[in-house]
Amino acid sequence: MLPSTLEDYLEAILTVTGDGGRPAGPQEIAAAIGTGETAARATIASLVEEGYLERMADETVRLTGKGLEVASRVARKHRVLQCFLTEMLGVDADAASKEACTLEHGISDETIERLSSYMDGGAQPPPGRAGRCRGREACTLLDCKEGDTVRVAMIRGPRRNRRLLDLGVFPGEVVQIRRKLPNQSVVVRVKGCDIAISPEIATSIVVESCP
Amino acid sequence: MRFALVGNPSVGKSLIFNQLTGLGVEVSNYPGTTVELQRGNTCFQREMIELVDLPGVYSLDGESDEEVLVRRFLEQQDTDAVIAVVNVTRLERNLYLLLQVAEYGLPMVVVLNMADEAAKQGIEIDPGPIRDLLGVEVILTAASQGKNIDRIIPAALAATRPSKVEVPYDHHIEAAVRSLGKISSADRKESIRALQGFGDNPDLLEAARTIADEIESRHRMTVTQIIAANRHNFAHQIAGLTVREKALHHETDPDSILTRIFPGIPILLGILVGMLLVVFIVGSFLEEVIVGLFNVFAIQPFLALGLPPLAEALGTSVLLALQAGLGIAFPYVFLFYVIISVLEDSGYMTRAAFLADNAMHRVGMHGGAVIPLTLAFGCNVPAIMSVRLLHSRRERIIASFLVTMVPCSARTVIIAGIVAGFVGIGAAFSVYAIVFALILVTGLVLSRVTPGEQFGMIMEMVPLRRPDARLVMKKAWSRLSEFLFIAMPLLLAGSVVLGLLEFFGFMAIFEQLVEPYTMALLGLPGYSATALVFGILRKEMAFETLAILAGTADLGAVLSSLQLYIFAVVTVLFVPCLATITVLLREVGSRITLAVTLYTVALGLLIGGLMYRILA
Repeated sequence: MLPSTLEDYLEAILTVTGDGGRPAGPQEIAAAIGTGETAARATIASLVEEGYLERMADETVRLTGKGLEVASRVARKHRVLQCFLTEMLGVDADAASKEACTLEHGISDETIERLSSYMDGGAQPPPGRAGRCRGREACTLLDCKEGDTVRVAMIRGPRRNRRLLDLGVFPGEVVQIRRKLPNQSVVVRVKGCDIAISPEIATSIVVESCP
Repeated sequence: MRFALVGNPSVGKSLIFNQLTGLGVEVSNYPGTTVELQRGNTCFQREMIELVDLPGVYSLDGESDEEVLVRRFLEQQDTDAVIAVVNVTRLERNLYLLLQVAEYGLPMVVVLNMADEAAKQGIEIDPGPIRDLLGVEVILTAASQGKNIDRIIPAALAATRPSKVEVPYDHHIEAAVRSLGKISSADRKESIRALQGFGDNPDLLEAARTIADEIESRHRMTVTQIIAANRHNFAHQIAGLTVREKALHHETDPDSILTRIFPGIPILLGILVGMLLVVFIVGSFLEEVIVGLFNVFAIQPFLALGLPPLAEALGTSVLLALQAGLGIAFPYVFLFYVIISVLEDSGYMTRAAFLADNAMHRVGMHGGAVIPLTLAFGCNVPAIMSVRLLHSRRERIIASFLVTMVPCSARTVIIAGIVAGFVGIGAAFSVYAIVFALILVTGLVLSRVTPGEQFGMIMEMVPLRRPDARLVMKKAWSRLSEFLFIAMPLLLAGSVVLGLLEFFGFMAIFEQLVEPYTMALLGLPGYSATALVFGILRKEMAFETLAILAGTADLGAVLSSLQLYIFAVVTVLFVPCLATITVLLREVGSRITLAVTLYTVALGLLIGGLMYRILA
């Protein structure tokens, strides 16, 4: 296993280059890591030596196949951890990102897999970019069509919108989407009553078994 | 003896209250809130019974003004019995509140209302399970037909025991209740409330917090969510026992046309325009009649008396204020509230709010604001009185600014009489365009700077039903009397002050003082400033005063087109009328009223000044 600094470098290069296809310059990498350019150059040199990076014509470097694999794995750990911290534990997004940066190096691949399937019930997360919570494309009320019947899985920010709870929209309850306007306002039927919900609130209601 | 009516919104609570009390209902604001509380008396076997109609709520644990009020009211425990009204067609959701009320431990009676509706929908109700589980009297009623309403008061008088019901909570919650009971000898109700962070015992709250955090770390739900889910599930069980047989009934769903973009939006626009036309045509017709009658039968005879000048000036101011007030009260306030009550009681208001929600959000309000904003075209006074329909203070503040800027029918008279009459039709429309643009900009800015949280919409679409005519009239009448008793004295005082100022020659001095400024700033002669000031009393008076001061009704002969145009723009924007100011004071307080007034004055002068610079 690589030291955590080196993993951070690979992850950063993957992030700044989007998918690792484009070469990245030392200044760019140093800025993404938050370190000096001299230090960055030294680390990059050792990564090239180990075969994780390859040097291009100018000063820029690109991830090799091996480097890409390590970078993607670390990035995925970051994503899953950050997702877990923000969505499940309610940690603030910035703090969660920092925390994830530390945890990602110590956690085993298996634990990450289990954590990921714990959060989304087994579905494989589609590949996304590092640093943002895209590990699990959760379905919200806004993703449903008129006429769909879905089960509420979770409500983001459960301490807000107490009225949802009082009207019967809580995890486990089955609701039917009665109306969805083009402007994303929705009406759901719950407990025999129609409830109108504005888009910014509907987007915080995560639901299961919608197409 | 005092009984309180509790229930969800639109369960027929007001109708029952009305049937039980009849006349002599006192509407008061609960101290420190804008929430209204209705109190009335009824006599049973020579005993005086006070009935309180609490506002409709969905829960006793929420943070809205209404929920806080009902909670505080029940906590005071000075109610002899609670009459919990339940809509049987929406039994399960209604039982959720009923269980919370039962936990308060007050003697109670359960009224299962709308039995007739339920029968129509093929729902068969057995009150037995609720009676057994809660251990209280249960009455099946149909308020719209007055059925069994007479049994409520005797049952409430007989109710002495609180409900014995205990909601079966999750075992972690039950364990928490037991340990909280041991730690600080709190009872079940107090512990449940403490776990949700309510209560005033700091030690208990502290202990409850620790336990709640512990429970939250085990479940993936907050304690509040768990408790609510337990209550809902228990309500579901009870509803299953109570509702016997539910024949599937396919009836036409009016919402399939009312809440779609098409034809929902055209219907909404049609209703808004229709209301406006009614207020406009019927309202201005009635106003003209009242103002005309007042002129012929009060002002002219009074002037013919030939009283000493001071008395005459005072008397005229009083009469002018009465004329202005009555000219608004009957035609606009009353008519407006008849329309609003019909929209509200029929349930259409929630459909309108749903359709307009997104558009209204841009200017910082929720969909319901579309009604006051539209009706403000008729008259700003009742529109301001209805901003209390909006839920947060933030929305009420934004709405007060925007409503006062909407050109009401009186300002339309000015635009039509001065601009369309002497300048041109195109120019008249441009005045509207300017005002609408300013309203939009003001809304966009206010939605960013007004303090307070923007609440998204979570609103029950109440079932559509035929409004009760007597209830509608009663509501409209109570608004009318509110206007007459609260706004009229202020209107009278303001008018007398203006009259005295003029009598002692302050107006003339004022004219000379401001003349250089009005000339430099707006290019208007000094007497137009006097006309503007009189416009505060009644907006049309700006037009009338201008004609009197100019000495001719042919204003085009004495003032240029540009001067007339600027005068009209300034009058339309400048200061809401005195009646609007008085209701603003009541609805949003003196600070916001002052802000609205200063803002509109500044805006009027600024826009007028800009036009003079650009167009001259």
